[in-house]
Amino acid sequence: MNRGNSVKEKSEGLGKGILVVGGGISGITTALEAAEVGYRVVLIEQQAYLGGKVSMMNQYFPKLCPPWCGLEINFRRIRQNPRIQVLTSAIVKKISGSEGNFDVILELKPEYVNNQCTTCGDCVEVCPVERENDFNLGLDKSRAIFLPHEMAFPHKYVIDEKKCLKEECRKCQEVCKYDAINFEQFPEIIELKIGSIVFATGWELFDVSQIPELKFGVFPDIITNLMMERIASPNGPNKGKIVKPSNGEAPKNIVFVQCAGSRDESYLPYCSGVCCSVSLKQALYLTEQYPEANVKIFYIDLRLMGRHEDFLNRILDNPRIELIKGKVGKISEEKETGNMICEAEDILSGIKISAVADLVVLAAGMVPNISSLEKTSTDESGFVSDEKLEPGIYAAGCNKNPQEVSASLKDATGAALKAIQSAKQ
Amino acid sequence: MSFIEPDIDFIKHLKKDCGSVLTTCMQCGSCTAVCDLSPENNPFPRKEMIWASWGLKDKLLGDPDIWLCHQCGDCSATCPRDIRPGDVIASLRNYCYQYYAKPHFLGIIMQKPAFLPLIIGFPVVIISLILILAGTFKIPDGPVIYSKFFPHGLLNISFLLLVLASFSGFVIGLKQYWKNLKHSTTVVKPNGTLLPGFFSVLSTILTHKNFRFCTTNRYRYWAHFGVFWGFVMLLAVTFYAILATLFFEYPMAFWNPVKILGNLAGLFLLIGCSIMIWQRIFDSEKRTNSNYSDWFFIISLFLLTASGLIIEIARLQNWSYAYHLYFIHLVLVWMVIMYIPYTKFAHFVYRTIAMTYSKYLGRI
Amino acid sequence: MNKEAKKIGVYVCSGCGIGQNLDIDALQSAASENNDISISRVHSFLCQKKYCEIIHNDIIDKELHSIVIAACSPRVKTKEFSFDPSIVVERVNLREQVIWCNPPNDEDTQMLAEDYLRMGVAKALIIEQPEPFISSTLNSDILVVGGGISGITSAIESAKAGYRVVIVEKEAQAGGWSSRLLKQVPYSDPFGTLQDPIIHEKIKELQSFKNITLLTSSEIKEISGQPGEFSVSILNKNTIMEYMVASIILATGWEPYNATNLKEFGYSMHADVVTNVELEEMAKSGKIVRPSNGQDVQSVLFIQCAGSRDKKHLPYCSAFCCATSLKQAKYIRNFSTETKVFVVYKDIRMPGKLEYFYKEIQKDEQIFLTKGTVSEITEENNQLLVTVKDTLIDEVINIKVDLVVLATGMTPRNSEDLNLTYRQGKGLPGLKYNFPDSHFICFPYETRRTGIYAAGAIRAPGTISACIEDATGAALKAIQCIESTKRGESVHPRSGDISSPELYMQRCTDCKRCTEECPFGAYDETEKGTPLPNPYRCRSCGICMGSCPERIISFKDFSINAVSSMIKAVHIPDEFEEKPRILAFVCENDAYPAFDMAGINHLQYSAYIRIIPVRCIGSVNKVWISDALSQGFDGILQIGCKPGDDYQCHYIHGSELTETRGENIQETLQTMMLEPERIRTEFIEINEFNRIPEMIEDYLETIEEIGPNPFKDM
Repeated sequence: MNRGNSVKEKSEGLGKGILVVGGGISGITTALEAAEVGYRVVLIEQQAYLGGKVSMMNQYFPKLCPPWCGLEINFRRIRQNPRIQVLTSAIVKKISGSEGNFDVILELKPEYVNNQCTTCGDCVEVCPVERENDFNLGLDKSRAIFLPHEMAFPHKYVIDEKKCLKEECRKCQEVCKYDAINFEQFPEIIELKIGSIVFATGWELFDVSQIPELKFGVFPDIITNLMMERIASPNGPNKGKIVKPSNGEAPKNIVFVQCAGSRDESYLPYCSGVCCSVSLKQALYLTEQYPEANVKIFYIDLRLMGRHEDFLNRILDNPRIELIKGKVGKISEEKETGNMICEAEDILSGIKISAVADLVVLAAGMVPNISSLEKTSTDESGFVSDEKLEPGIYAAGCNKNPQEVSASLKDATGAALKAIQSAKQ
Repeated sequence: MSFIEPDIDFIKHLKKDCGSVLTTCMQCGSCTAVCDLSPENNPFPRKEMIWASWGLKDKLLGDPDIWLCHQCGDCSATCPRDIRPGDVIASLRNYCYQYYAKPHFLGIIMQKPAFLPLIIGFPVVIISLILILAGTFKIPDGPVIYSKFFPHGLLNISFLLLVLASFSGFVIGLKQYWKNLKHSTTVVKPNGTLLPGFFSVLSTILTHKNFRFCTTNRYRYWAHFGVFWGFVMLLAVTFYAILATLFFEYPMAFWNPVKILGNLAGLFLLIGCSIMIWQRIFDSEKRTNSNYSDWFFIISLFLLTASGLIIEIARLQNWSYAYHLYFIHLVLVWMVIMYIPYTKFAHFVYRTIAMTYSKYLGRI
Repeated sequence: MNKEAKKIGVYVCSGCGIGQNLDIDALQSAASENNDISISRVHSFLCQKKYCEIIHNDIIDKELHSIVIAACSPRVKTKEFSFDPSIVVERVNLREQVIWCNPPNDEDTQMLAEDYLRMGVAKALIIEQPEPFISSTLNSDILVVGGGISGITSAIESAKAGYRVVIVEKEAQAGGWSSRLLKQVPYSDPFGTLQDPIIHEKIKELQSFKNITLLTSSEIKEISGQPGEFSVSILNKNTIMEYMVASIILATGWEPYNATNLKEFGYSMHADVVTNVELEEMAKSGKIVRPSNGQDVQSVLFIQCAGSRDKKHLPYCSAFCCATSLKQAKYIRNFSTETKVFVVYKDIRMPGKLEYFYKEIQKDEQIFLTKGTVSEITEENNQLLVTVKDTLIDEVINIKVDLVVLATGMTPRNSEDLNLTYRQGKGLPGLKYNFPDSHFICFPYETRRTGIYAAGAIRAPGTISACIEDATGAALKAIQCIESTKRGESVHPRSGDISSPELYMQRCTDCKRCTEECPFGAYDETEKGTPLPNPYRCRSCGICMGSCPERIISFKDFSINAVSSMIKAVHIPDEFEEKPRILAFVCENDAYPAFDMAGINHLQYSAYIRIIPVRCIGSVNKVWISDALSQGFDGILQIGCKPGDDYQCHYIHGSELTETRGENIQETLQTMMLEPERIRTEFIEINEFNRIPEMIEDYLETIEEIGPNPFKDM
C-alpha cells in the first residue's frame, strides 16, 4: 500500500490547513486544539510513533501523575477527530510560498509495517535481530521489530530501519497473518498546500558525556535524569523497580547533580527551568520505593516557580532527602567499593563535602531539537525565536524555550491560534 | 557593629587586573569543589569570589586562603560562568604586594607598565654611580675578569646594603600583614603551634607536594619545581661565591662541584622558566590569565638566569662584549633581588607565612 | 427505539489468537441466546479493510441499527471499525482483556468471553446514537473581563481570528499594572537592555480593531446562561449594558500582597521601606528619592520573597519578583551612577533564558547579590540598618542603606467579580491559594466552568511574557468552545462528544444531588431545588447520572438501563466454590487502558472478573450495585483515578464522590443484609498495570473469606 496516495486523497480536501511538525506533546496539543476549533491539520512526526519525550516519562511533577494519562486522552481525541491526519516517519523537505499559501514538500520514510498490523506480536517471536532499545535509552534490548511501548500511537509495530535485515530475512513478513509487513518500500515525496505551519520539534537531552568531570559513560551507575525516568517507569527495563545499571541492586545513597551542563558558559548557558523540579520528583519517587535510601540533591538555586513551592516544601519535610546548596564539581570513584564520590561545597554550612553515592543522577538540561527546521531562525542559544520566523510559521514548546510541560502546552495552544489566524487569510 | 561597605574602586581594579568579569559569579561553589588544596572548613575560593564581587577589601587582605591557592587553574577550568577564580585569587595576591609594600609607592609602580623604564633605570643609575665613584666605570683590558670591572668587595657591600634597605621595608609590611591575618580570622581553637607548623609547611614547600594536586595543568609541578630549586641552589652558590671571593679562589674552576651545582641550578631555572612562559603563551584552554606582574616576574627571572649563563660563556670565551653583558646581568640581579618585596617574587614569603598561620589554625 | 425492534449484527474476530484460544462457535451461540441477532459472522481478520466493507454492506442490506464487534480493545482499530455515525458500534474486548490475560481454551476463559459478548449485545440493544443539541440562539462573541496585558492580548488574538470581542475594564484606562511600569524585563536578546513596556503598543493595536469593544470604568453586574449564549450585564459608569456572548476570558489579574502585613521588614514603620510596586511608581514619575526626606538615594536594598515562599504570608513563589527586582536595580543604576544596590534573595529564580538577564545584571559591579535572610531592620543616623543572616559572605552582615524595597508577590483577584448566577457560586472554583488554575499538567486550560477560561496572573503568578503566552492560549480555548458549541459537541476532556444527559423530570424529587455534585456547575436550580440543566455547560461525564437516587438521568449512549442490562446479561454460576463473580466498574480514562496494558504484557489475572467501563467512576449509580448484588455477583470493585490533593480524576471529584457515596451504598448493603466487603473501591494510575493481577487476587481472597453472595440462588 502506498502511504503517499492516502495522504494525497486527504490533502485535496485540506484547503488551507495547518501543518504541525513534531508529534510530541506540544505538537499533539497544537494539532488537537486547532482541529477542535474546526481546522484541518496534518501532524507529522519523524519517529514512527507520537508522544515524544513525554511518553518516556514515569511521572510528571508536581502531581507525580503518569504522563500517559494525558496522552491517552489526546490519542483518543486524535482517533475520533476526522480533521486531523497523522503522518509518522515524515519530515519536511521544503517549504515555499507565504503565509496562507505554503507549499510544503514532505518526505515519508518507509516504515515497512502498514496499518494492517494488529499488534498480535507473532513477528517478534521470529525476529532474529537484537537491538539496543532506544526507547529505554539503551538500558535494555529489543528485537528489530518491536512495539515501542504499550501506549504507542499509531498502535502498531515498528521496524528498526538500521538493524533489520529486511529482504535478507523476511521472517516477520512470512509469519504475519495480516499482510502488514512489506519490505518493497521506498521514501515517498508528497506535496501539501498549507495555510500555516507550527514547528513543535521539541528537545533533546544535553549530552552530559561532554563534561569530563562528571564521568558520565565512565561509571555505569552515573545516569541521566531521563534514564532515571525510564528506569522508574512501570514499562521500563525493570518494570519500574529502580536499580543500579551496573549490578541490578537497589541503590542506597543517591546523589542528584543539578545543572549538569546547564547555566554553564562552556555547555548550556541558559537554565533549563525544569531540572530542579524533575530531580525533586525523582527524589520523591525514589524514597517512596526505598524508604531507607538517602538522597542528596546538590543545587545552585532551587528554581521551583509559582505553586511548585509546595512541591519543594514536600521535599523539605522528607527526612530522607537532603538539599545542599553547592554544585558538584567533580566525581571520582571510591576504589574499594566502586561507589562514586561527589565533591561539592556545602555552601550554607561552609564545608567541603565528598558525598559517597552508589547511584548518581545527572540533572541534564534541554537542548532545542531544530535539526529538521527550515525557514526558521534561532536565537543565540539555538532556540527558535518567534520574531525571526517568517509570517505564517510559528514555533511551540521546547524548541522555543526550555520549559515544563504545562508551559509548553500553553504555548502550543497559543500557537494553534496563531496558526489559525494565518490559515484563515 | 561593623558594616558592609563595598569598595567599588577595588572591584574595578581587580576586574582590570585579572581580566575577569568577576561579578557574574553565581556562587555555585564548583571552584571550591574541584580545589584539592582547599580545606574542609570554610573552604576557598567560592567565598573569596563573593567577597571580591562585593568589594570587601579588608576581608581579602587578611585572608590566608588566597595564599593556599597555587593557581593550578582547576577552578578556572570548571567555572561555569567562566570567570576564572584562579586568576581572581592571583590578582588578590598581587594586590597584597602592592598594599603591604613599604614604601607604598614602590608597590604601586611595580604594578604599572608605565613605570618599567624607571624600575630598570634605578639599578642602572645606582650601579653606574657606584662604579663611577669607585673609578672602575670603564672596560678593562686583558682577559675577562669581572672583578676588574666591579671589585668584589664593593659589589658585596653595596649589594647587601641595598638588599637590607629594601627588606627592612618588607619586614614592616609583613608585620602589618600578620596583624591583618590575625584580625581577619577567628581563632577558636588553634590546632598547632607556630614553629612546628612552620617546619611542616617548609617540607611541603620543599617537596612541592601541593603542586601535585593540580589536575588541569600537569607541567606546573615540574616548572615550579625547577624554578624553585634552581633559585634556591643559585642562592646557596652565590653565598658560597661571596665567601669564595673573601677566602678562596674566585672565579671557581669549571669542574669545582659548587660551580657545577651553580650551572645545574641555572639550567633548572632556565628550563622551569621556559616551561612557564610556554604554558602562559600556548595554553590552548587559556586557563590562567597572565598580567603584567606575572610577565615582569617571569621574564626578569628568565633574563637573569639566561644572562648569568651567557656572561659565564663570555668570560670563558673572552668576548669583547663580556663587560657590557655583565653590566646587564648585574642590573637584572639587583632588580630581582631588590624588588622581591614588591613583586610577585614576594609570594614565597607571604605564602610561607600564610601557610604557617593556616597550619597553626588547623586549616591545613 | 424499542429493544425488540432493533436489528443487530454480531461480528466475532478469530484473529490475533482469539480463534485458537476460544471456542468461537460457542461464543456465537452465546450472543444469540436470548436475543434475535440479524446477522452473525466470524472472520480471522475482521479489521481488514475488505472485511469492514462487508460489515458496511451488511449494515445497509440488513438495515442494522447496532453492531457488536467482538475483537480487540475499543482503544485500537477505531478508524477501521467506524461506520455510519447513526449506527451504534459496541466493541467487545476479547483480546486485551480476555485471551491475553487468561489461559487458552479454559472453561473460565470461555465463560468470560461469552459473558462479555452477551454484555455487549445487551448494551447494543439498549443504547442509541446521540444527536447533537444545537440551540438556535448561539452567537460567536467573546467577553474578556480585565483590560490588562492578558485581557488585551486575548482580545487582540481573538479579533485577529475574526471574532468580536467585548473587553470590560474597571479602571478608566486600559492597561493594568503593566502600563504603570517604567521598564520591562527583556525576554529576548539583548538581555543587557531593559525594554519599554510592550503594553503601550498592545493598546494601540487594540484600538485598531473594529471588532473589539473596550468598555472602561465598567464591571460585570451579572452573567447567566451557558456557552454560546451567555447573557452578560455590564455596569458601564452608571448605565447597564447587555451583551450576549459565547465564551468568556477572565483576565482580571492580580493585586500586590498587602505589605502592611510585613511588619518583620519594617513596612509602614520606616518611611524608607517601600514595595516593588511603590518603587516602580516612583521610578515612573521620574525620580527615585527617599520618601522620608525627599533626598537622593545612595544605596538601596531589595528584600526578595518579602512575604512570598513564606507560610505566614504567601506560601508560593510569585515567579516574577526576581526578574523585576533585577530590572529595578538596573534602572536605579541608570538613574544614578553612584548608587549601590543590594539584593538579598532566597534563591535567584531566573529560569530559561532569563538566566542571561541575571548575568547581564551581575556584570554591574555596583549591584551586590547574596542569598540570605533579613533578620532585622532598624533606623540609625537617618539610615536604615539591615541585618542579614546566613549570607554567602558571613553568618551575619549589616548593611546601611537609604532605601529598602520589598519584593512583594502577587495575589489573584477574586474571580467572583464575574458575578455568575450559577447555583455553585459567582466565580471560578479556585485551585490552591485561590488561583483558578487548571489542576492538569497536560491540560493547562481545563476549567470547571465551561466556556470560561482564566488567563494571566489571576490563574498563576508570572511574568508579562508568561501572561501574553497564557492569554493567547486562553483565546484559542474560548474560540474552540464557541465552535464546539455550535457543533453541539462537548469540550475537553470528552471533546467531540455530542451526548448530553436527559432528565425524566416527572420522577425528580428535587433532592439537589445532581446540582450539587456536578463538577462543572452545569445545573442551575429553581427555588424549589428542581434542576435546570444547561447542556452547553455539560461535559458529559455522567457524574449526575451516578448521583441521582431516582435514576432519572441518562445519556442516549450511556444509561442506567444499558448498564443494568449488561449486568443482567452475565451468567452467574451456582457453584460459588469454583466460580465466584466480581463485577468491576472501571473508569474508561485511566483504569480501562491500564487493563489493556496488562493484557498487552500478558499479565494473568482471574477470569472471575467482569469489567464494565464507565465514563467516570463517579457516574456509577447505586442501582447498578444493587442490581449486581441481587443478580448474584459476590463482590463489586469500583476502579477509578486517584483522588486527593493530586487527584487525577478528569472530572475533578468523580473518584472522590465514589468514596463519599460509599455511605449510601453501605446502607444498601445493610438493607440487603450483606457484608461491607462486598464493595471495594480501588484507585489506579494508567501506568500501574503491573498492580492489576495482585489487586484482583487480593479482592478475590477477601470474597472467598466472606463466602458467596446469599442472593446467588434466589
